[in-house]
Amino acid sequence: MTRTWQVARALMVAGLLETVRRKEVYVLLILSALLTGGAAAFRVFGVQGLEIFVKDVAFTAVGIMTTILTVFIAARQIPDELQRRTIYPLMARPITRGQLLIGKWATATLTAAVAFLTLTLANTLLLASLGITLKPIFVQYVLLKLLGIGWLCAFVIALSVYLTPPATITLSLILAFGSGAFGRLLLMAHWEHDLSVLWLNLLYGILPHYDYFDMSKKVVFDWDLAPWGVLGAMAGYAVLSGTAWLFIGWLRFRKQTL
Amino acid sequence: MHPIVVRELVVEYRRWFKPPVRAVDGLSFEVCAGEIVGFLGVNGAGKTSTIKTLMGFQPPTAGEVRLFGLSATDARARRLVGFLPETALYSPYLTPYETLRLYGELHGLSGRPLRAQIEALLEAVNLADRMHTLNKHLSKGMLQRVGIAQALLGDPKLLILDEVSSGLDPIGKRELRDLLATQRQRGTTIFFSSHELAEVASICDRILIIHKGRLIAQHTLDELAGRVASLEDYFIRTVMAGYDILEQEAAA
Repeated sequence: MTRTWQVARALMVAGLLETVRRKEVYVLLILSALLTGGAAAFRVFGVQGLEIFVKDVAFTAVGIMTTILTVFIAARQIPDELQRRTIYPLMARPITRGQLLIGKWATATLTAAVAFLTLTLANTLLLASLGITLKPIFVQYVLLKLLGIGWLCAFVIALSVYLTPPATITLSLILAFGSGAFGRLLLMAHWEHDLSVLWLNLLYGILPHYDYFDMSKKVVFDWDLAPWGVLGAMAGYAVLSGTAWLFIGWLRFRKQTL
Repeated sequence: MHPIVVRELVVEYRRWFKPPVRAVDGLSFEVCAGEIVGFLGVNGAGKTSTIKTLMGFQPPTAGEVRLFGLSATDARARRLVGFLPETALYSPYLTPYETLRLYGELHGLSGRPLRAQIEALLEAVNLADRMHTLNKHLSKGMLQRVGIAQALLGDPKLLILDEVSSGLDPIGKRELRDLLATQRQRGTTIFFSSHELAEVASICDRILIIHKGRLIAQHTLDELAGRVASLEDYFIRTVMAGYDILEQEAAA
């Protein structure tokens, strides 16, 4: 475990340096500036009576940007190393392919988490500048989103060892944004076409559920804190499901010709 | 314990709805401790596939590959190995110092000993003044030197070098020869593939010639001395014939 952590830490440091120097941070700054610019526009017209609408727009924007950034960051971790052939000196070290996969997942998760926290900070400052305050459930929203980022990175990295980068990105975005809709489609199939409860539960369980990790609507509508046990259950789902996805990725990656 | 043992190695590449391509076909050889062995063959002979299998990048289809007694697919086998790939590609967004720090940490090194080793190696490959320049601003030759430095990280007992001098200018080649000579003095085993036969002749103790995935000749340079006009001449005639011309002559 110590060795795996050592590998992950080395890859995370290098990954963060690369991300900053790739100038991807500029994308974040531009997105944050757009959020702030939006706030400035609202300030001109005032937001009285529009607080919920403003919050909804801001949290939806942060959610969409975070998902897109996470998918793009995670999808290139392994394929980039293979394409640049930098995988050779990496794997020439006494590390296992499993350790590399975990290290790459940790790198993607850390990078995407930093991006999300930056956007969230900009969003919070924006709302504060408009006099909109957030309830304590906001903390749970942040924690759940961070869990979701870790889960999504595991899912995308697993796909990336089976598919080409464009296919990984397309499929990941469809499943990330559509996961809630797929669940609703299954329910409709259950109600309208007599899909059995067994099939409903089975298919619903197999489907990746990124939608589970989004509490933004509850923040927008100022809900009270959710029971912490629910968050614990979500953490359990994230760990189990994320581990399963990484395991599926490892099954292919361990035998892959580099 | 031999640093490298290869037994009846077969490497095949599978293709959809087509018969697999056999890149290495029943290859067997050993490399003894302290030996410098040149691995020769024309393009497509199976050199890189063999080296990929040695490094665990490619699982063998059949046969056995061992490094210091451990299976090449076991990560621990690479603890004593330094590797320089054919094309020196390193992250363009890291500096040589950061590149070496990454590989050093992956090797299990850390702290002051790692820093000291990185500085000494960058000094040895004449990159001390560029250690904080991004790799994307370095020339191909300089990147190859970064590669040489990373291969020497962790004080390896076995160096595996694929197309060792590709991209190096004449000065770089001489520096590489000097470095390899230093490694030889330290007792490091070196296994390398190269098309530069003059260089092979100046460094190696022994050569292996591979053709169409099979080992067709292996000799020490002492055995060749006086029996062939030059290594180049011997290599070309052997590869053209598809068998060891010296054995053929001896049999005749």
